Amino acid sequence: MIAKRALWSWGLIAPPFAISVLLFVGPLLYLFYVSLHGTSSSQLYDSEWTLANYEQVFSDPFYLVIIRRTLITAAIILLLSLLIGYPVAYRIARMPVRRRTIAMLLLLFPLMVSNVVRAYGWVAILGRRGVINTTLRDAGVIDVPMALLYTPDAVVIGLLTILLPYMVISITNALVGLDPRYEEAAQALGAGPIRTFFHVTLPLSSPGVASGLLLVFLLTLSAYVTIAVLGGPQSKLLVSLVYDSVVSFQWPMAAALAFTLLLIALAISGLIMALIRPGRVQAGRR
Amino acid sequence: MSDIDVRLDNVSKEYGAVKAVDSVSLAIERGTIYSLLGPSGCGKTTTLRLIAGFEQPSSGEVLIRGTRVNDVPPYKRDISIVFQSYALFPHLTVGDNIAFGLRMRRVPRAERDKAVAEALNMVKLGGYADRYPRQLSGGQQQRVALARAIVIKPAVLLLDEPLGALDKMLREEMQVELRQLQQRLGITAVFVTHDQEEALTLSDRVAVMRNGRLEQVGAPREIYERPRTEFVAGFLGASNFFDGRVVARREGIAEIEIKGWRVQARDEGSAGERVRIAVRPERTWIGAPGEFPHAARVREIIYRGSSTHYYLESEAGPVLVYRQNDAPGQGAWQPGSAVSCGWAPESGVIVAPVDLQS
Repeated sequence: MIAKRALWSWGLIAPPFAISVLLFVGPLLYLFYVSLHGTSSSQLYDSEWTLANYEQVFSDPFYLVIIRRTLITAAIILLLSLLIGYPVAYRIARMPVRRRTIAMLLLLFPLMVSNVVRAYGWVAILGRRGVINTTLRDAGVIDVPMALLYTPDAVVIGLLTILLPYMVISITNALVGLDPRYEEAAQALGAGPIRTFFHVTLPLSSPGVASGLLLVFLLTLSAYVTIAVLGGPQSKLLVSLVYDSVVSFQWPMAAALAFTLLLIALAISGLIMALIRPGRVQAGRR
Repeated sequence: MSDIDVRLDNVSKEYGAVKAVDSVSLAIERGTIYSLLGPSGCGKTTTLRLIAGFEQPSSGEVLIRGTRVNDVPPYKRDISIVFQSYALFPHLTVGDNIAFGLRMRRVPRAERDKAVAEALNMVKLGGYADRYPRQLSGGQQQRVALARAIVIKPAVLLLDEPLGALDKMLREEMQVELRQLQQRLGITAVFVTHDQEEALTLSDRVAVMRNGRLEQVGAPREIYERPRTEFVAGFLGASNFFDGRVVARREGIAEIEIKGWRVQARDEGSAGERVRIAVRPERTWIGAPGEFPHAARVREIIYRGSSTHYYLESEAGPVLVYRQNDAPGQGAWQPGSAVSCGWAPESGVIVAPVDLQS
């Protein structure tokens, strides 16, 4: 009986499992294989095995600067999205159901506009002849337009406005699912609103915080359009280098950079989970 | 007159047009358990939440140890609470859960550790301090919640159906344990429950609530044996109800005529001729025809282990009789048997009928 059910469940997951092996794991292994070879002018890659690509990524200052910039940009976006997103989520979670549904829909609404359109929207605001610069110049505050566009700050602002809803929605869901009796128990034990928040509400919402951070971080690493449009040539991130390597036919280097990105994604995701330990409040399942 | 730890003066709580709590006044003496008993929606939980401070009264006054606390938030009231769901903090160990209230009161570490260890021993969970709540059984979690609530020595302990999530055996065990603990420590407690047996077992006083009002307040025995209304008589255990007409009154006993029956019932100041009386099934007798005043016929017999329930049909309507299984003559009747029934005059109680109450 049990064996039959186990067989059934294996049967059900077999097709997606096969597809993901065929179309994801397989190509990924092939990509790793490619990354361990040199660039060839006639072939996809050189036949010689080498670690040169990785050595270059991890020693060449050009790459190191961009890796550092990628990590710093991601850290700033994570911090800001948490600091801005949590209070918003906290407020939304305490709304009556109807208003909460409307608020969530409003949050999703900007996501319906293409990233390309939104990036150019920021260009219209931040550019040399953008809204900010022309307004300030007309008001006589500045003579020379400020360089707002093509800076790391522009990238942060652009990505933040795209990614914030993911953070807010993750945390809101965690807070809505929280039994209000936890907070009441804390209050009855003498904890005021601030201590109730830091000792009870915040730790209990950690699964939402963790999933929000993961989503925002992984989406930051893979965002391309926003970085390309708002960052320009000076504010490239790691993902831009993958693209640059591909369009210059340096396939093995592109593969090595892709694996560097994957490594960073895994390491930082692991760090987020280790720091926040969302598992400790997920009672019931061991 | 002993100290009053909790007093409600004419407290009402309205949600729009709905009166969840309607002009409730009560006083709870130090060191006693006061139960709020009633069906769901009767206002018992709202009353508890008004004492805790999670709700503010629409009118009236809430006093804890003589101080008006209407405008005092829960965390500044001298209370603690145990919920049915326990609400143990899952990210804290058992020890840290119990220490939580002490930490909030800035009790020094050494003193705190000592109090936590004591509290754990009190609920027979010594050595469990380093476990997490999810590693404990429901009964153990219940004890931790109790320890967490009593370790801060609140003026009043609020219990919101704390045993409701336990199975029957464990619940009865915990009732006795909770009672012993409360008496040993002299705790004042408010106990919300819809379980009448639990209320009778645990309480010094029981307040039966209905539609936001206190229907009757008294000691368990008083509430059970001298219900003033049909609702109380029906909610606490089973009752036989009869409608009749008072034909004579003397010395606290009323002579009542019920469709040709002449019965007697305790009369505590009832007015008017038409009355409803309640008689407990365990105080109703069954016997051979002619043994008791009223003729009846057995409709159904249900064997219940320690007792047998007889459902009788009589000219005054259905009559339910509980009979201990060690009583003589047990097994003499079958469905359809002709029998007789009756009760002692003081076993009948005149009650206010539900349909005459607001």
